[in-house]
Amino acid sequence: MFEARGVRGALLGASLVAFCAAPFVLMPLLSLAGDWSFPDLAPGTLSPRAWLDFLGGNNPVGRVLLRSSLISLVVAASCTPIGFLAARFVAYDRGRKRWLLLAYAPYAFSPVILGTCLLFLYLRLNLAGTLTGVILAQSMFALAFAIVFFVPFWNRRVLAMEELVYTLGGTRLQAFTRVLLPLSRELLLICFFQCFLISWTQYGLTLLIGAGKVQTLPLMVFEYVNEANPYYAALASSLLILPPALFIVFNRRLVFTRERPAG
Amino acid sequence: MKSWVSERLRHRGWEASAFAIYLVVGVLPIAAGLIYALAYSVGLAGLLGKGFTLAHWTSLAGQAEVWLSLLTSALIAAATMFLTLLAGACFALGLRTRLRQGVVAYVVYFPLALPATVAAFFVFQALSDAGLLARVFHALGFIRRPGEFPAMIHDSWSLGVIAAFLILSVPYFTLFFSQVYRTEHLEELCRLTLTLGGKRRDCLRRVIGPIFWRRGRSHIVLWFIAMFGGYEIPLLLGRQTPQMISVLTMRKYQMFDLASKPQAFIAALLYFAIVSLLMLWAFRDERLDRDV
Repeated sequence: MFEARGVRGALLGASLVAFCAAPFVLMPLLSLAGDWSFPDLAPGTLSPRAWLDFLGGNNPVGRVLLRSSLISLVVAASCTPIGFLAARFVAYDRGRKRWLLLAYAPYAFSPVILGTCLLFLYLRLNLAGTLTGVILAQSMFALAFAIVFFVPFWNRRVLAMEELVYTLGGTRLQAFTRVLLPLSRELLLICFFQCFLISWTQYGLTLLIGAGKVQTLPLMVFEYVNEANPYYAALASSLLILPPALFIVFNRRLVFTRERPAG
Repeated sequence: MKSWVSERLRHRGWEASAFAIYLVVGVLPIAAGLIYALAYSVGLAGLLGKGFTLAHWTSLAGQAEVWLSLLTSALIAAATMFLTLLAGACFALGLRTRLRQGVVAYVVYFPLALPATVAAFFVFQALSDAGLLARVFHALGFIRRPGEFPAMIHDSWSLGVIAAFLILSVPYFTLFFSQVYRTEHLEELCRLTLTLGGKRRDCLRRVIGPIFWRRGRSHIVLWFIAMFGGYEIPLLLGRQTPQMISVLTMRKYQMFDLASKPQAFIAALLYFAIVSLLMLWAFRDERLDRDV
């Protein structure tokens, strides 16, 4: 029922594909364009200059890519296990609803607005303009996401299985390594990827807490846009969007197997 | 209600420590930031702090800038959300099979990995007066010069801003509604509606619509909040007056004129108050304490 069939279905499908794929086609194409100005519909020439500069280390994009990857990996690798354990505390505690509302707290702020309120604290702690400061700031959102994400995992069924381990004489370590970790392996992977994305795409907090000293790929895109260098901006954008997109293509279930908070 | 968790399993040192880390990293800084913002706004903190005063609040109350900014942000977010829900529902209902197999099933996931920064840059490249769409118009003979192309960037209707937000939100809600359609067995419910004498319109209005809304309300509010406080997209594509609230807050915060800093903090506090109320409303009967 309501399903568009025939030509209508094909047109609707084509429009959705065009809508979703356009940035992923235009950005790499623009990064390869030698010259592409109005009114040309396609680049006059294709040139790998921007990519060769990147690969040859002639522009800072490579260095920034490495730094962005490092920050996102640290955020994802730390927030996933902490969120996993913290969610257990929230799920099984009497104040579950109260704690869960607290877990949503960072989402009551726009990252930039939060950054303006937090900067004084980071300055006081000498964390502004440092890699540690940026990682801590980004972890606020990633950790909150991880807790909200894992709370439904800690349910009656999982609790019953854990109790069964103890009834059969198992230890806490065995319950954790033989039951809970295997049960949650896929969810841990999903959460790791989502936390990585939260950090990978973060702009506002990084801008403020990084204080211009910690450059990441999203910041670099804006820098090149402000310099009116669309080809390098497209290169930085391509590096920003292609790895996660390829990952999603091969692991669709890692993105939308369950409900998750937006933003 | 008797708890289903035994005391023996409830209290664990590691889990409590992990949550304490969240409180230290995530909640305490927010509380400190809010207190600082409030103190700054009433003259109790910062370089301009010379004792308690409500002067900054009263002066801001008389200016339209912040209120207009909040209103503009809310209107843009609401318009985008309306279009998102419409498009998301159309795609989810019209492409049910295609969303599970074939090219569509893959490509629709792409924008979930799209940062707002890139979405803004893409829309700038696509909709500016020398952008891709203008070139198509030129090729079709509708315009001769870039200046003849209707303004869609920095324009008074915020079309570019809305377009960029849509690129991020429509695929998400398409997938979300598609999932709800399956998990809530809406196909069967609609057939039942028809069997009982209802029309296709009744299916949409009385079955699908209410269930989409009930299941999606918290998602809708969280997305609305994300758009309401969006920064990168309105920074690149939005108009200068009135600016969206995040852009305005940041501008006032970064201005050389120190007198504008308290106004930045007041804008931040107003934003926080509005968003908190929205979240409390969204989650008021969301069963956060349910046994899953």
